[in-house]
Amino acid sequence: MQSYWFGDFGDGRCILFTGDINAFIDRIQSVVTHMDSYVPPDWKQAVVCGACQDRHQYLAKLHDICMAAAERSIREQYSKKDAELLQMVRTLDEIDTVINLLSEKAAEWYLIRHPSFSRKYRRTPSHALVKTMHDKSKGALGKVAGEIEQLGITRTILAKEVSARANDVIPNTSALIGGLVAARLMSNAGGLLPLSRLPASAIQVLGARTALFSHLKTRSPCPKHGIIFQHRRVHNAPRNVRGKVARVLAGKLAIAARLDYFRGTADPGFLESAQNRIDGVGRESGP
Amino acid sequence: MIWIDGVLVSQGEGGVYHERMLGGARVWDPHRSKLSALYYSGKGVELTSGMRVLYLGAANGTTVSHIADYVEVVYAVEFAPRPMQDLLEVCRRRRNIIPVMADAGRPEQYAPLVESVDLLYQDVAQPDQSAIVLRNCVFLKPGGTLILMLKTRSVDVRKQPGEVFRDTIDLLTSNGLGVKESEWLTPFHVDHAAIVCIKLKT
Repeated sequence: MQSYWFGDFGDGRCILFTGDINAFIDRIQSVVTHMDSYVPPDWKQAVVCGACQDRHQYLAKLHDICMAAAERSIREQYSKKDAELLQMVRTLDEIDTVINLLSEKAAEWYLIRHPSFSRKYRRTPSHALVKTMHDKSKGALGKVAGEIEQLGITRTILAKEVSARANDVIPNTSALIGGLVAARLMSNAGGLLPLSRLPASAIQVLGARTALFSHLKTRSPCPKHGIIFQHRRVHNAPRNVRGKVARVLAGKLAIAARLDYFRGTADPGFLESAQNRIDGVGRESGP
Repeated sequence: MIWIDGVLVSQGEGGVYHERMLGGARVWDPHRSKLSALYYSGKGVELTSGMRVLYLGAANGTTVSHIADYVEVVYAVEFAPRPMQDLLEVCRRRRNIIPVMADAGRPEQYAPLVESVDLLYQDVAQPDQSAIVLRNCVFLKPGGTLILMLKTRSVDVRKQPGEVFRDTIDLLTSNGLGVKESEWLTPFHVDHAAIVCIKLKT
């Protein structure tokens, strides 16, 4: 007996499947096929079954069902909670890049207009410089500086949204490393499911791709941390224990990601013990 | 295949991906499509109007749309939702493309849909792409053609492309496929090889 989209066929007999398009979609997604005894469907069987009158109709019907099935699958995939967060954090990182590039260019331009101005020995943060440029420059340069400021405001709003969304979608990972960094980890892995499937050692160097491959190819040292360096426990740790902190943190993150994927709610017991373990690394062998 | 002054084209409604038109036909750019690059090398199989094709790794439907201009029906398998969105748009206008949103490595997921085909075409970026294509050979008629676009860098970055190529040929020939011809797709696509096989009658 072979099960096809239009019905079950075997021993010259056929049981026609009937129903609306959603019933057909449910059927093609649930039919179990054993590939070792499988024979592909034939449109003539479908005619015998009474599913269609000719080949043209067979293909037209199959086309409509497959279109609807694919549309439904896409909708299901996109309604997963991590899908939008992924795009949000990628946009956020892109805005950062754009702000930096534009500020650099605008600063160079501003320096030409003000030959006596120099950034040396000044502790002007770049956004303050942008504000100065906006206030003191006429024409396009002032406009550009204004746009950079506007982008900065958008960035702040988006960062807050990413953080809040991450706390909701990946509560355990976010609690350990902060919403923003957690979202970046997830984006780098390609989603929550891929992240939850990664071993801790991979999470540790996620985002240090170039260094990792240069290590694998040549004898350069192995990267100690990738994105997780952005966590204060890692970058504030003394150099000699930084790798160790990164390793422990990555180990706990791997567990947290699995909790997030399979359970989806925060686990206070786990979070407390994990936090203690991570904090402990700095203490036991600190300076 | 239809050539106009040495340019490969296909007959169909244009505007799928802003492709150039030539004498009312759609230009099939070898830089964008590996199959087109294969035809430019003088190899590959003639696409005919009665053909049934199973296309693994359909992506945005660029190459699929050209194949669909030539053949009767294309079963287009694609796993990722984002390119599938674009592919569905192509399917809406080309009713002889049947979109299948499934993992090409798991043919049991779409076995109830796909009939026996004359041409099996595979262009997926997976390290086990030759194993994937072997699993899909059940859909290929005996005597039918398999075109495998081998992305050597996706199979193994650390191996030499030539080595990956030889391993793949060995695997295919030991699994009931006769290698008819093969071609490196340089200069159009670097480190990509096209392998054309015939499924031997058993």
